[in-house]
Amino acid sequence: MRAVVSVLVALHVFAVFVGPWALPPQNSELSASAARALRPYLEVFALANGYRFFAPEPGPSHLVRFEATLDDGTLETGTFPDKREHVPRLLYHRYFMLSEFASTLNNPNLPGDRGGAVARGYAEHLIAAHHAKTVRLFLRRHFVPRPEEVRRGMQLSDKALYQEQPLGVFTRDTP
Amino acid sequence: MTSAARYIRAWWAEVVALWNQFWFRPADPATLCLVRICAGAMLVYTHLVWSLDLQAFFGDKSWLPRATLDALQVDSFSWTYLWWFGNSPVALWSVHLLALVVFALFTIGLFTRVTSILSAVATLAYIHRVPGALFGLDQINAMLAIYLAVGPSGAAYSVDHWLKRRAGNPAESPPLWTANLAIRLIQIHLCIIYLFAGTAKLTGPAWWDGTAMWMALGNMEYQSLDMTWLADWPRLINLMTHVTVYWEIFYCALIWPRVTRPVMLLLAIPLHMGIAICLGMVTFGLVMLIANLAFVPSEFVRAVIPPRRQGRAGDDERTAKQSALRSNRPSASPAKR
Repeated sequence: MRAVVSVLVALHVFAVFVGPWALPPQNSELSASAARALRPYLEVFALANGYRFFAPEPGPSHLVRFEATLDDGTLETGTFPDKREHVPRLLYHRYFMLSEFASTLNNPNLPGDRGGAVARGYAEHLIAAHHAKTVRLFLRRHFVPRPEEVRRGMQLSDKALYQEQPLGVFTRDTP
Repeated sequence: MTSAARYIRAWWAEVVALWNQFWFRPADPATLCLVRICAGAMLVYTHLVWSLDLQAFFGDKSWLPRATLDALQVDSFSWTYLWWFGNSPVALWSVHLLALVVFALFTIGLFTRVTSILSAVATLAYIHRVPGALFGLDQINAMLAIYLAVGPSGAAYSVDHWLKRRAGNPAESPPLWTANLAIRLIQIHLCIIYLFAGTAKLTGPAWWDGTAMWMALGNMEYQSLDMTWLADWPRLINLMTHVTVYWEIFYCALIWPRVTRPVMLLLAIPLHMGIAICLGMVTFGLVMLIANLAFVPSEFVRAVIPPRRQGRAGDDERTAKQSALRSNRPSASPAKR
């Protein structure tokens, strides 16, 4: 009994280690092989995490801005996350992670059109929620000012700190 | 050759003895059960908040519909029962309310053997359904839910335990090796988390030049408390940055010796409460502290939260009498033992 549990514990601890060790992009062939072998276990028990909190370093944050055009031509706009709309803070953070997810996957170096798939999912949700004909999505990157810029009076919400990039135009019947 | 073989045999015997001591030594389940109450409450709150936008995250027209996840997760093993209920709001709400009830029962420790396993299954199901809306909170929730299902997390501070006492069973649970196993798994997992959290930061220049904490605290989307006054205190920003990295990297070593453990645990409080208060991640900060409870000795937990018999004199005597009546034996007052 004790021997069996020992083997299971050793395998589990190894899997817990492999999860962050093998997470791309910074991984070795050895760690990637171990992760491939353990993939079912890692995925079922949600162990394929990097635990790279604010690493390699805290960067700009990302928001998703949308413009929904209704059948009668009315334009409805919004951004997520939105601190006023998404309350309590945990719900706000869920929306924040959705916009960060769109940014992470909006990377041409990733295999397949993952960013496109995510944007299409968001657009389909917005089309259904707003009964819209068309939805345009934009990714807003919000940079953090340097301490010396803040000392000179720059606000965190200064317009110069934002960059925007279109994610696509999606219609009700977008395939 | 013979002495070398003898040395290796002795070394191996010591390794086996230490392994057994580490994983299989029976332990008081008090710490594990305290973790259950805190982690269970966090599971209730986490999933209660999903209720505010349940259809938007888990319905068929959700932010992350089936087609999106199929494109992202080819041949995935991330199974979730929530796919069965997304098409019907009534069914989705029913299964969601059921999960909330399970989490609540698990928190108070009722039917804990069953509700602990169901809580782990439900936690993983929600995680697998919305991978794009997750963050550290969910990773730690899953970790704790799984290990609390492994160990006897309802053996103390639970309704189950209270019912057992009423039925005439012994007042406190004896030390159990499964309680030790679950606590050890949380401890080891936490060490691995901090090790990778710390070493991953070593690749970022801002963690070396001491400005990383500014980049986090000056981020308007994270910020829940205006910390821009820190712009006038660059060396304080440097100190916070360096302490964070070194604390995370050395946690896996310094949390074990008795001398350094209290220091590491005390440092965990400002670090995680800072994340909670300044960066708006109260749930994440708290759940990390809950996981750190695994390093608090059960004697300390018992001292802070004493067993019920100390709170209500006569309980044990009454229990012993009930037990004796059932077994037709004379009762033995605990006071005379």
